Amino acid sequence: MRFVSMAFKNLRRRPVRSILTITGVALAVAVAVSLAGFNLGYRNAIERSIDRLGFQLMIMSKGCPYEAATMMLKGGTGLLYLPSEIYEKVRNDPDIGSITPVFIGIAEKEGSGIRDDSGSAFAIIAGIDVQSYMEMKPWLEFETGTGFENGRWFKVDSEDEVVMGYEAATYEQRKVGDKFLATISPQGAARSIQKTFRIAGILKRTGTQDDGTVFLPLKNAQKLFNRPNELTILGIKMKQFSGAKLQEFESRWLSLPSVQVVSLQQVKSTLVMLIGTAQTMIAAVTIIAVLVALIGVINAILMSVYERTGEIGVMKAIGAFRGDIFQLIWIETLVICIIGAVTGTLVAISGSRLVEAAIKKLINLGVQGSIVLINWQIITGVMAGAVIVGFFAGLYPAWRAASMHPIDAIREGE
Amino acid sequence: MEKGKTIIEGFGLKRYYQRGSETVKAVDGIDIVIRSGEMVSVLGPSGSGKTTLVHLLSCLDAPTGGSLLVEGVSVEGLSEDELAGVRRKTMGFVFQKFYLLPTLTVAENVELPLLFLRKQPDRAATMEVLGQVGLEDRAEHLPNELSGGQMQRAAIARGLIINPRLLIADEPTGNLDSENSKSIFDLFGHLVRDKGISILVTTHNLSLGRLANRVITLQDGKVVKEDRF
Ligand SMILES: Nc1ncnc2c1ncn2[C@@H]1O[C@H](COP(=O)(O)OP(=O)(O)OP(=O)(O)O)[C@@H](O)[C@H]1O
Ligand SMILES: [Mg+2]
Repeated sequence: MRFVSMAFKNLRRRPVRSILTITGVALAVAVAVSLAGFNLGYRNAIERSIDRLGFQLMIMSKGCPYEAATMMLKGGTGLLYLPSEIYEKVRNDPDIGSITPVFIGIAEKEGSGIRDDSGSAFAIIAGIDVQSYMEMKPWLEFETGTGFENGRWFKVDSEDEVVMGYEAATYEQRKVGDKFLATISPQGAARSIQKTFRIAGILKRTGTQDDGTVFLPLKNAQKLFNRPNELTILGIKMKQFSGAKLQEFESRWLSLPSVQVVSLQQVKSTLVMLIGTAQTMIAAVTIIAVLVALIGVINAILMSVYERTGEIGVMKAIGAFRGDIFQLIWIETLVICIIGAVTGTLVAISGSRLVEAAIKKLINLGVQGSIVLINWQIITGVMAGAVIVGFFAGLYPAWRAASMHPIDAIREGE
Repeated sequence: MEKGKTIIEGFGLKRYYQRGSETVKAVDGIDIVIRSGEMVSVLGPSGSGKTTLVHLLSCLDAPTGGSLLVEGVSVEGLSEDELAGVRRKTMGFVFQKFYLLPTLTVAENVELPLLFLRKQPDRAATMEVLGQVGLEDRAEHLPNELSGGQMQRAAIARGLIINPRLLIADEPTGNLDSENSKSIFDLFGHLVRDKGISILVTTHNLSLGRLANRVITLQDGKVVKEDRF
């Protein structure tokens, strides 16, 4: 028999009290694990959705519209261009993780004859550098299945190949290998030219602007629109994404004439702020739960120490050292905390779906996917926390027990 | 064990309590020697100082005067843990209220002192001690499954497990009926005769006290009579 098994046996002595105390610890641990899991999961979810946007930042000419609706409304007249040399300057910024140049133009679609009543007579043409564009949006994939076979990107120097976004293609029931006809008005030219492309591939639906875009090689697009040294957008992903870095970056490049740095994520700053608020709340709730559990544990152990005054006195009389009694009580505290921590962790893991549903119902966090993520770091961290709390919670009761005088204890019992 | 060898010697032992302005002389100058192989009973009315004397002799309480030698060594100025060390080397204890741990079986209770001595319990030795007190068939029972007399026997076995030279029992029959009390004293007699250990026992009961080799009668913290049988 060891101190540990004695501790376990003592817990069974007052089962209701032990269960209540352990439940207190378990609740605190479940709260801590769930909230830590939420914190982590939410962070990941936010990062995921920021990633989904592809660019975190765009550099473009002041006053240039960049989202589809505005471009359509203006019928392609409002687009403003940057000189290519800005790209050469910006691309070496130390904070940039990746950058992709995009040329955007508006073309008139030649009616396919199928939808002559269609209100959308314009197509967004995006000249891109496939390699860096894909670096931004690695999730872009080609649609497969009947009619979409052998989808691929165009050759870099191809003059008559396009890749179409899912919506752009299916709107006109285009398949891979079909023709795509567009009327383009080159810069400075009196007459527009008609151009026939071959569809090299059709992208899967992404739920973004890309779905409605027709992609060409950057060089070819610049040539067709007769703006060989101009770009519309520099799409940028930062090495490290934070509000502070963003500001630094912006102030660095705002000095360029007639250039604006647009952060695509108005959402983002809100989300970043939300993380901050959530973290403070999480910390507060966790601390309160832990304090309540701590007080519960100290109280329960002290009560059991006082109840056992006589026993403790006798143990000392029959030869227990102070340290023995101290250990005995201390181990009991640790056992309570560890059992509570294990139970609480299991509860948190099995209840994480519920917590997730509850949180999502309560507030719209603007993110998709799982927002509670419990990993081993959290579990071991919380376990270590429970042991440390038990370690401190046990100190006072154990010291009280160890300091009992055997004769007082024995006489008290008589 | 060598018979007649001194185990505990107290000279002019005093234990005064200050209760307000009044000094309570619970033990007031007692000389006492306990040798191996003898059973000594301490008799006296309630409040005469029996428990106080026993606590002094067991190094559970420090005398306010006089000196105490355990196995020839003075215990004066020893720390709490050092005194515990002296106790667990020489003495076994039995209390009026038994104080068995309710969560441990009889055998585990008996082995408890070994836990503090960091000694691996030996079930055969435990069973032997339980046999000496007539409880070999109750080893795996919990204390609350025993009668009062059996509980006190279990407590005696716990006192015996460390092979003490002296078993100290303060009012061991205080919670027992006369029949059980008699059999506990008979057991003490056997232990002294068969194992050669010494027993120091306090009691209110004159006829039980007389079963000892030596009867010391206290009154107001002083020895008023000492009989040998
Ligand atoms: N802690 C204390 N403070 C003050 N007085 C005390 C204390 N402990 C004992 N006394 C007093 O010392 C005297 C002797 O008490 P003690 O318990 O030794 O008597 P006893 O012979 O064992 O009595 P009983 O037969 O009732 O057990 C009593 O008058 C008691 O009130
Ligand atoms: Mg007494």
